[in-house]
Amino acid sequence: MDQRPAYFRVLATFARNSLVRDMMFRSNFLIEATSSVSWTVMNLGFYVLIFQFTPEIGRGTGWGQYQFFVFISAMMIINSIVQAFFMPNAQEFSELIRTGGLDFALLKPVDTQFLISLQRVNWSSLSNIGVGFALMFYSFTKMTFFPSVIQLVLFPIYVACGVAIFYSIMFSLAATSIWLGRNQALYNFWFYITNFSRYPMEIYGGSFAGDALRGVFTFVVPVLIAINIPAQLMAWPLSEQNWWLVVFTLVATAGSLAACRWIFQRALLSYRSASS
Amino acid sequence: MLARATTWWTILRISLEERLVYRGDFAIGTLMRFLPIVTQIFLWLAVFDAASRGEIEGYEISGYGYSDMVAYYLLAMVVRAFSSMPDLALGIALSIRNGDIKKFMIQPIDLVGFLLLTRIAHKLVYYSVAIGPFALVFYLCRGYFSGWPDPDIMASFCLSLVLGFLLGFFMEAAIGMMGFWFLEVSSLLFVYMLFNFFFSGQMFPLDFLPAPWDTLFQLIPLQYLAFFPAAIFLGKVQGPELVNGLLIEAGWVVFFILVSRVALRRGMNRYSGYGG
Amino acid sequence: MSIIELHGLAKSYRIYQKKEGLRASLTGLFQREYRDVHAVRGIDLTVDQGEFVAFLGPNGAGKTTTLKLLSGVITPSSGTATVMGHVPWLRENAYRCRFALVMGQKNQLWWDLPAQESFRLHQQIYGIDPAAFDRTRDELVDLLDVRDLLRQPVRELSLGERMKMELTAALLHSPEVLFLDEPTIGLDVIAQHNIQRFLKHYQQERNITIMLTSHYMKDIAALCNRVVIIALGQIMYDGSLTGIIDRFSGHKVLTLLFADDQMPSDLARYGEVLEIEEPKVTLRVNRDVVPEVLSSVLANHTLQDISVEDPPLEEVIAEMFSVSQEEAVEMTNTE
Repeated sequence: MDQRPAYFRVLATFARNSLVRDMMFRSNFLIEATSSVSWTVMNLGFYVLIFQFTPEIGRGTGWGQYQFFVFISAMMIINSIVQAFFMPNAQEFSELIRTGGLDFALLKPVDTQFLISLQRVNWSSLSNIGVGFALMFYSFTKMTFFPSVIQLVLFPIYVACGVAIFYSIMFSLAATSIWLGRNQALYNFWFYITNFSRYPMEIYGGSFAGDALRGVFTFVVPVLIAINIPAQLMAWPLSEQNWWLVVFTLVATAGSLAACRWIFQRALLSYRSASS
Repeated sequence: MLARATTWWTILRISLEERLVYRGDFAIGTLMRFLPIVTQIFLWLAVFDAASRGEIEGYEISGYGYSDMVAYYLLAMVVRAFSSMPDLALGIALSIRNGDIKKFMIQPIDLVGFLLLTRIAHKLVYYSVAIGPFALVFYLCRGYFSGWPDPDIMASFCLSLVLGFLLGFFMEAAIGMMGFWFLEVSSLLFVYMLFNFFFSGQMFPLDFLPAPWDTLFQLIPLQYLAFFPAAIFLGKVQGPELVNGLLIEAGWVVFFILVSRVALRRGMNRYSGYGG
Repeated sequence: MSIIELHGLAKSYRIYQKKEGLRASLTGLFQREYRDVHAVRGIDLTVDQGEFVAFLGPNGAGKTTTLKLLSGVITPSSGTATVMGHVPWLRENAYRCRFALVMGQKNQLWWDLPAQESFRLHQQIYGIDPAAFDRTRDELVDLLDVRDLLRQPVRELSLGERMKMELTAALLHSPEVLFLDEPTIGLDVIAQHNIQRFLKHYQQERNITIMLTSHYMKDIAALCNRVVIIALGQIMYDGSLTGIIDRFSGHKVLTLLFADDQMPSDLARYGEVLEIEEPKVTLRVNRDVVPEVLSSVLANHTLQDISVEDPPLEEVIAEMFSVSQEEAVEMTNTE
């Protein structure tokens, strides 16, 4: 047992066990997958409706209908990854803290954050990724624009950054239940914060309130960056990218992950377990 | 008769007391519920900006200016405070599934009546606490409204709120009672929620819908849960159209009361047929 | 060679009085009522390699808290401890590979999946060589007689079977130190007996060090040669099982079987009457006066049978706790 646990193999086992478990409740799996997709389709209907009334979102921002669809597909891809790999674990984390089940995680000779963050996978949430990619390709045909190789390489990296930012916020919130106890407001808080990221960041501007929101959610809690930058990378040609923000995203990602790690470690030190 | 009334009053009073304990949570939660609206109004600001090419003042989409949009969302929130019934259908389905419903066979009050009373109690407490935050928000946003409507419009508005409450209640109760016949009500509920979100007017004023959707939304009763009362207040529905609308809404309420009663009686018969 | 050492280990919690509702919680941010709970108050203990030690004590005594401290699950308020040279609450992976903690009625196996899937996960997390893993697993499931249950979802197993699976999982990585927190709680007598037998066999064969907490005398009597009694966060006694009775019991139990109709009506003068079932009577008599009572009874009556026994262990311990609780009250009053 002096050999290190093979982190990849453990991850594969987590994925496999979750899949086996999901397949045991097959009808639930199908229902959940269908629900996610139908929800997405309905939202798409709303967006199509908006573009009946306007050529773009925000004057001179460049978010025309198909660019906006690219934004939406980036959002679908990022959200479904977060919902598949991390949301079930964040909810489980709060439960583990409440029941004292976190004890068992602390006994294992692997990094606790790794274990807690990845042990469950909700496969049905990945159904939206397909829709996301399909929508993205459809938009490319309509825009008569196809991203360059550089953009195609950068996109998955920046999707990972977006996922990492959402993950950090989600887990930092979940970790606070070690101090605050179980709190429904916590779940709602996550929803309210990420709600700001549903549309391009350019919609916040032009007023004091708008600029303030944009500033806070770019530099303090970088939710606006999470979806905007990967979307932007695929919506416009290389020459029109906002390179400052692209670089800043890497900083924001590193900062978010570091902050999350710090909060997590502090929380574990304060852990009290539950009385038997 | 008197005994009945006293029973009802006791139930109401107990429910009120129960909910008052959590009033602190309500106040903060209520304020936070306005947050998603912030994103929506920024979105529409961007849309109006682009559509009007910078001349937002006086520009209208389907008869709504930008101020109307903000006013509409705020009003829709008020209507939702009356017509939304969290956990009603699920609660009924659950008590059918685990047998709690049997106690109503021997008590002097039926399930629907009991739930109606408890729901009224919840709403009353909610309003008493929420009136603060709501008043604050409306005061801050008073610039988006063009003054108070005429007394008869106001009266119609209030009437539509009450009808909206009853409609929301009996619709969800009817769905919940499908639990007598179907094991999994949650799928049915999900479909209801999905359509509710889009066709009640929560997402956008239903006036925006093009053909053939505009006929569709007129045929189903979901519009009364958010759109219709807001439209009354904003003066979008007037005269004979208004009266017709209210009558049809009342008709739907009666319809769903009947459905609930029939479902309850048939369901209970079926239930006791199993020799509970 | 000592393998576990505790010096002045202490753990206190501050519990804030929680009020209902968010508004109360907010005001509570500025001004909170609290009380301090001293779960463990400075324990000193040394355990040698190969010992099987029992922790005994009433609820809330600090037994589980001590085990959790030694497992690194929680961090202490003060004091030191080392297990096999490691400081537990540093949560080093090297330490976590070498010990195991099993908690009764708490499940770490995946609920919907067969136990063998959870075992496989264990293998990968602990980095156990596949051949060694198969060997160890087979040995354990045979000893515990659960081989046929490996493919069944854990939720379908009975409480006793689940406990056996938990034990198996804990031992798959061949830990050198095993902490057991009430492993037989809630199990029926047969299951308890099986687990006791398994633990005894396993410990003897492998010569590992085990610390066990339990409420059941049978567990302790069957398994441990050393008993540590904890009450109110402190160690009250540390020694052998029989030593407890000698030290803490003030009396003996006399059972007298009178011949024919000879049973007297004034039994109370010999001692406290515990039970009468003509012609048998059970008395509780102070230790020092036992010879006196015996000679007196024999002189005045005809007896068919006499037995002089130690009181049941539970009783001794319960008595000891009530004594120690008085002492503790005295202690806290002078603090």
